Amino acid sequence: MTTTHSRRDEVTLAVKRLVIRESRLSLTPADIADDEPLNGAVLRINSLGFLGMLVRLEDELDVVLPDDLFTGKVFTVVSDLVDVVLRAVEEHR
Amino acid sequence: MTAAWRSVLPHLGYDLPPDLTPERTGGPVSTGLPLELVRQSISLREWWDIPEEVLAQYRKYRPTPLWRAHAFEKEVDARVPVYVKYEGGNISGSHKLNTALAQAFYYKRAGVTEVVTGTGAGQWGTALAAACAAFGLRCTVFMVGGSLRDKPYRGSLMRLLGATVHASPSGLTSLTEGGNSLALAIGEAVEYARGGEGRAFCIGSGENYSILHQSVIGLEAADQLHALGAEVDIVVGSVGAGSNFGGVALPFHARHRAGEADAVRLLAVESSATPKLTRGVYAYDHTDATGSGPMEAMYSIGSSFPIPASHSAGLRFHGAAKLLSAMRHHGSVDAVAVGQREALDAGRRFAVSELVVPAPESGHALAGAARAARESKRGVLVCVSGHGLLDLSAYDQLLAGRVRDLAADDSALAAATAGLRLVEADLTGVK
Repeated sequence: MTTTHSRRDEVTLAVKRLVIRESRLSLTPADIADDEPLNGAVLRINSLGFLGMLVRLEDELDVVLPDDLFTGKVFTVVSDLVDVVLRAVEEHR
Repeated sequence: MTAAWRSVLPHLGYDLPPDLTPERTGGPVSTGLPLELVRQSISLREWWDIPEEVLAQYRKYRPTPLWRAHAFEKEVDARVPVYVKYEGGNISGSHKLNTALAQAFYYKRAGVTEVVTGTGAGQWGTALAAACAAFGLRCTVFMVGGSLRDKPYRGSLMRLLGATVHASPSGLTSLTEGGNSLALAIGEAVEYARGGEGRAFCIGSGENYSILHQSVIGLEAADQLHALGAEVDIVVGSVGAGSNFGGVALPFHARHRAGEADAVRLLAVESSATPKLTRGVYAYDHTDATGSGPMEAMYSIGSSFPIPASHSAGLRFHGAAKLLSAMRHHGSVDAVAVGQREALDAGRRFAVSELVVPAPESGHALAGAARAARESKRGVLVCVSGHGLLDLSAYDQLLAGRVRDLAADDSALAAATAGLRLVEADLTGVK
């Protein structure tokens, strides 16, 4: 349980850092809610920026994210992305 | 045959300007591009192993021929040897199959079942249709309507390979006008791809990953020249968006930057009807008529520029690839514009001297090579990117004296680029 929680925390922190950077904002991860829209009033993530972000996330978390995990899927808020990345991290570590 | 692609990105010494997010926001984010293609676009890794499944397809037509064009040299009064790298010998008839196979492989691996694309001359559509046949994917192609009418056998070939072909504007999407004709066909493909499960839009050239896949051309050419004991100091290719030029030329730039070879001049030859590299602006512009994607830093004549009909549909694109544009901006790429009469005449001269009919697009490269062969000290390498056997009506019109040059008008260029945001000096990032 603790391990799962710490992994989720690690992934959430990494995702929030990257969405802030991709949106070119001067905020901290604590300023971003889990249900913050990825493409809305605060965060400005477009599809191609999103993909580049996933590749940088691989470096940050030291995992290789499989292609079929993302292609054709729809992501609305920050936690949608955290859920999928967390699953990949747990399956591929 | 080379078993790896070579990226020029680690040898640039600067970052490419980042894409700009479109102004409108809201709505969910979705992805249609396999991650491996994104890695290939942004990573500074130099060598990328070609997947075995793609290599197996490459082996059916690669290595492609390279020869010294003695008769063409005589025909154009060349002062140095001219070497031809010929990419027209596969079923698609052009270099486009090099990246189509790679892209189809990665899309299939990502779970996509149908790829959708837009095509001008039909070379890209044919290549993608062939690649989809090879990897068991459905393929839908939106082809510029006028081009499909002029070259009906392109449509026949795509359908023979199992693709569904629509003349654009097709009536199947909300787009009926806007931008130039290729940008419209691409825009239709983008919209259509969004409308069905398992579909993904697949772009022909211009993206970094596409240029990476095309590096097989230059890598092979360098080995073949070495085997002949030959040297060149100018490498020439035609530019629509820049994939065949990037493919033949950038491996030579990488070799030089890696200390493996002398510098060569990289000469891009564009159409005088779409003179982005010689008369365009370095600015952020859209790559298609929907304007839904990010804006890329490119040399552009404006995505709204009304490009006239010409015999080289593959060159009728308003912008150059962002990689090629950055290299042009940093002085690593030279460019000349050639009119279609000179291009088709160079193609005719090549046909009668080397007994190969080049595509009109490749005629531009040959015209540039003929000019370069009067300036070069050691030799010229030119990429003949495709055959012209489905473009014979263009040569008919040349022989009948009915081909007119369509140089872009100054005021139209100024109007189409007036609203574009120029790439700022601080974003061009010299390290």
